[in-house]
Amino acid sequence: MADREGGVARVADVRMSRFERLPWRRIILLILSIGLITLTIIGSVATLSKPPGEGGYSGATWAGFVVDGISQGAIYALIAIGYTLVYGILRMINFAHGEVMMTGAFAGFFFAAAYAESGFLNRHPITAMLIVTLAALIVSMIVAVLLERIAYRPLRNAPRLVPLITAIGASLFIQNAFRGFFGPQARGFPRPDILIGNVELFGLEIPKVRILVVVVGLVCMVLLQGFVARTRTGRSMRAVAQDREIASLMGIDVNRVIMITFAVGGILAGIAAVLFATTFEQVRFDMGFKVGIAAFTAAVLGGIGSIGGAVLGGFLLGLLQAIGPALILSGFGIPSPFALKDAFTFLVLVLVLVYRPGGLLGTGEQEKV
Amino acid sequence: MNRVVKAGLAGGAVTIFLGLVGLIERFADLSLVGEQVTFSRLILVVAPFIVGYAVGRPRVEHGERRSITAREALLWGAVAGAVAGALVGVAAVAVDAFGVERVRAVFIQVTQGLIDFVTLGLEPPIVGAIGLTAISAVAGVLGGAMHVVPDRIRKPIVSAIATILALGFLQRVVPVAMAEIDLETDWLYTSAGLTWFGAAVIGGIAAGVSILKTWKGDVIRDAIRGTTTGSQIGVEGSAPRGGTSVLRTVILGGAAVGLFVLPLVVGSVVSERLGTVMVFILLGLGLNIVVGYAGLLDLGYVAFFAFGAYATGILTGGMLNSFEGITPPVIHADLSFYVALPIVVLLAAFVGMLIGAPVLRLRGDYLALVTLGLGEMVSVLVASPWLTPLVGGPAGMRDISDAAIGGISFRDPKNFYFLALAFVILALFVSRRLYRSRIGRAWTAMREDEQTADAMGISTTSYKLLAFAMGGAIGSIGGALFAVKIGSITPASFQVFVSLQVLGIVILGGLGSLPGVVVGALVLVGLPGILREFEEYSFLAYGAALVIVMLLRPQGLVPNVRRTRELQEEERAQDAWAAEKEQEAAVEGVST
Amino acid sequence: MSVPDDLPVLEVTALEKHFGGLFALSKLDIAVRRGEIVSVIGPNGAGKSTLFNVITGIYEPDGGDVRYMGESIVGLRPHQLVKLGIARTFQSVRLFANMTILENAMVGQHCRARGGVFGSILRTPGIRDEEERIKERAIEALGFFGPRLSGYRMDQPAFSLSYANRRRLEMARAMATDPYLILLDEPTAGMNPRETLELRDHIVRMRDELGLTVVVIEHDMRVVKGVSDRVIACDYGQKIAEGTYDEVAHDERVVEAYLGTKATE
Repeated sequence: MADREGGVARVADVRMSRFERLPWRRIILLILSIGLITLTIIGSVATLSKPPGEGGYSGATWAGFVVDGISQGAIYALIAIGYTLVYGILRMINFAHGEVMMTGAFAGFFFAAAYAESGFLNRHPITAMLIVTLAALIVSMIVAVLLERIAYRPLRNAPRLVPLITAIGASLFIQNAFRGFFGPQARGFPRPDILIGNVELFGLEIPKVRILVVVVGLVCMVLLQGFVARTRTGRSMRAVAQDREIASLMGIDVNRVIMITFAVGGILAGIAAVLFATTFEQVRFDMGFKVGIAAFTAAVLGGIGSIGGAVLGGFLLGLLQAIGPALILSGFGIPSPFALKDAFTFLVLVLVLVYRPGGLLGTGEQEKV
Repeated sequence: MNRVVKAGLAGGAVTIFLGLVGLIERFADLSLVGEQVTFSRLILVVAPFIVGYAVGRPRVEHGERRSITAREALLWGAVAGAVAGALVGVAAVAVDAFGVERVRAVFIQVTQGLIDFVTLGLEPPIVGAIGLTAISAVAGVLGGAMHVVPDRIRKPIVSAIATILALGFLQRVVPVAMAEIDLETDWLYTSAGLTWFGAAVIGGIAAGVSILKTWKGDVIRDAIRGTTTGSQIGVEGSAPRGGTSVLRTVILGGAAVGLFVLPLVVGSVVSERLGTVMVFILLGLGLNIVVGYAGLLDLGYVAFFAFGAYATGILTGGMLNSFEGITPPVIHADLSFYVALPIVVLLAAFVGMLIGAPVLRLRGDYLALVTLGLGEMVSVLVASPWLTPLVGGPAGMRDISDAAIGGISFRDPKNFYFLALAFVILALFVSRRLYRSRIGRAWTAMREDEQTADAMGISTTSYKLLAFAMGGAIGSIGGALFAVKIGSITPASFQVFVSLQVLGIVILGGLGSLPGVVVGALVLVGLPGILREFEEYSFLAYGAALVIVMLLRPQGLVPNVRRTRELQEEERAQDAWAAEKEQEAAVEGVST
Repeated sequence: MSVPDDLPVLEVTALEKHFGGLFALSKLDIAVRRGEIVSVIGPNGAGKSTLFNVITGIYEPDGGDVRYMGESIVGLRPHQLVKLGIARTFQSVRLFANMTILENAMVGQHCRARGGVFGSILRTPGIRDEEERIKERAIEALGFFGPRLSGYRMDQPAFSLSYANRRRLEMARAMATDPYLILLDEPTAGMNPRETLELRDHIVRMRDELGLTVVVIEHDMRVVKGVSDRVIACDYGQKIAEGTYDEVAHDERVVEAYLGTKATE
């Protein structure tokens, strides 16, 4: 600096080229957006214009997709709530939440299988299913709480990377532990007779099981909302989510609240597990992974940290998953669009995080660190 | 006493867990030494031993470090061990009472054989349970005794036992290697593990080395340490510490020679495994740039791996297994591997930037998930019907180039090892140079505080893209090598677990640490490869390892000096600041 | 290409920035001429740091313009502005705590070098020379503050520094970017009286010895009085007074804004 040239010569450096001034990121994003929207429209129009049987789908099939989507969405919503609650409180993604659900599914399975064999399942289906669900949610709850206690609590103040790795490790561990316990093959989850078959509603044939899922899901969501909004514990949860330190200064037992949060997430996951297992009639040690990622996508889609967001995201993702591949990809003549269902989900995740990381109900801006 | 009991219960729970998962049953016959020391028996006593050791450790009570008396250590060890054993025994008795077959309907690994084993084959089971408790108590005492026994006795014993066990586990590998260099192995190994005689010899040698180390350890350590500390980023030419550079050269030289000679010594099977390890070291180095240097959490690294492999296949004449037989992909070329490789690398770098571009603004967790999603997309796409005409779908691709030079085919595991080694050395070189350059400085600054780095003239966008590009380039080389190694690839090799594996390698070894990546790969890929019998449990062990490492030693096995600092920053900052304040006050007190 | 001497180095016209309903900057006009030391004062929350953030590209203004050497720099990213010669320090010290002192300063020189990937990997003579030069410049910048940041200290991690030294390092790092204009955000916050006066002299030296144009946000009136050619007072994002220290210090509105927190002479 002591040997710098005088001010006059330096001004020549000052001019910045037009090229450098361009807001490149905005331009690229704009091009990308236009491209995606165009592709979506073209694909959809193409699919819809094809008659059924030649790559297109009939109205009834679409209706079926929608029903499936809403039902699957309810399941996603329940699990997404678990993700969003934990994120709101600890600002961490509980990577192992999908596995929490899986453990509940297995617990429920053993009861359901026993009941099916003894006939109890069909004699008193409601009682049986209630017990099955109870077993599932208890186990899920315990696993979630254990997870927090053993793997997450000691790392509460660690740099962000560490709990994430732990969660991944825990997810792998739980998955493979259950594989070791119960075997790698899928086990058939029995469905009570009364849930077999369709029902006619609004002129459509809707599987009974799907309706049950949506109804149960909605009931749980409403109960949860009431719990969080109206009870003292719920208030404590919201307080801790806002500001952990101040909440503890206000006399809230933060550790207990965090434990309860995980427990609630676990309970919902357990219920979702039974709904899922009943719908697809099977449980497998790796069922948690894909569902977990989908549910997490749903939570992010709706706006992570917000329960309403999780619910909205859940249903929306369910619909997107059910309709999207068929609607958009078929139009391009892509064979077996459903095989790409997972890829489609991930694409949605990526897009949401790129364009609107705060989610639909979020602010549209990323938290400034 | 409360915590002693708790520890015992935890130990017992772990043993029960291992039984439920099937580890005990599966390896009931794997004998390590003679026919008496089997793996299963080892498991039974390991938990009480460890628990006994753990409760005997000096504790911090009311802010003070308090060591345990010998009596306490032994007593508590015994209690903890006994509790652990009792828990397992009780569980076994309960299962027996309830009916083994009924339990088996749920926990499929619980067989009559397992119960018999756990109850030591005694009838009625309760007697066996008591016996187990007694044995576990003894194990616990031994664990506690580790604190009581003076160092110069303890260390040799531990070394001896550890070495014996290690060689016992390696019973498939070591004899083969020895046979390759025409050494007699009968005295050392039988078809069922080590012989007692062999074990004694090995134990003796190990103990001897340990004693030697205690006497001369410091000298040796300094010689080796000279290479890892004292190096700063961006400041090339800082002198190595430690005086005995001659010794250091000898040791490093020996290691280098060893590396080159290795495949000739260990035989084809192990060479093949080493080749895979090399590929994963390469992947680890690539990811190390992204995660370790630039601090970008990438969980989708498998994408580059897959890209490298498939692109190489397409460009070097790979064929698809389709219904009509063997057909070429829709796009294909028949280039030499060495012509195709630069193309693949450049493309991969470009793809890396494409992937990086939209995710630049994302913060930690979000970035992790997006990259995970992208990785998964690639996994799904390569297996999808849509891309089958290009990459072969679930059946994959075959007949990929063997990268032959002048008649030497690199499909042979021994040759492949050297090819991979060459690239690993290249990648190590590139990584090190980058780290110590202006670019490495920029990455470190970005990792520390992105906004400030931006405000100091570092274009974070450019450097993030650069990190992705470099990571992608190196990862694709790994993929290319992988394709050459076997000559055919299927989507099964490109699942999300690979991303997690590579991430584990980088983290386990220590973020940003080059030797750490090597160590990480050896442990996470090499070990399961060599201990093939345990492959089924590798995922389980892997998950557990991740959790345990994060809980106990998040800076990894061979930490990057800087990274350890980052993780202990708060502590040191406060200490140092306090010290400086004191010093300044003292100076001021003197001068005024 | 010659530039008229009276072209303002920095010119802010009708600058506006709001966050939701809060108007952080409201039709602000400021001009800084070459070689001036201008102080910006005002009660907390008056928008002073926001002003710096807008100038350095961290925020985009909602209205108005910012001109540097006659050219509008609105929309340019922070790292581009550093290349143009605008450096800044932060109110809360933002060092790269785990890097050494020398490394921190070398980061400052980053934008004045061009080393690319291939050059860095191969360590061509060009790169080696560049690294040497970076190191020299960095040491020079550190040397501005005397022995405190020099010698053996340079290899110590930044987190081990005392508070005052951290502030100095932050400034040295900014100076290492070879700036033309330097923006100091409350540089003496938290320093004791002796350190404060020392820093006051440093700021003047920055202008006298290095030819820098300086804009300082300050609360300590001893410093403001001791360094400023001109003082600008702000409140609620608006300029409420401008002039020499004496003029502004006695301005009614300024006194009112501070409600008597003016430091006595």
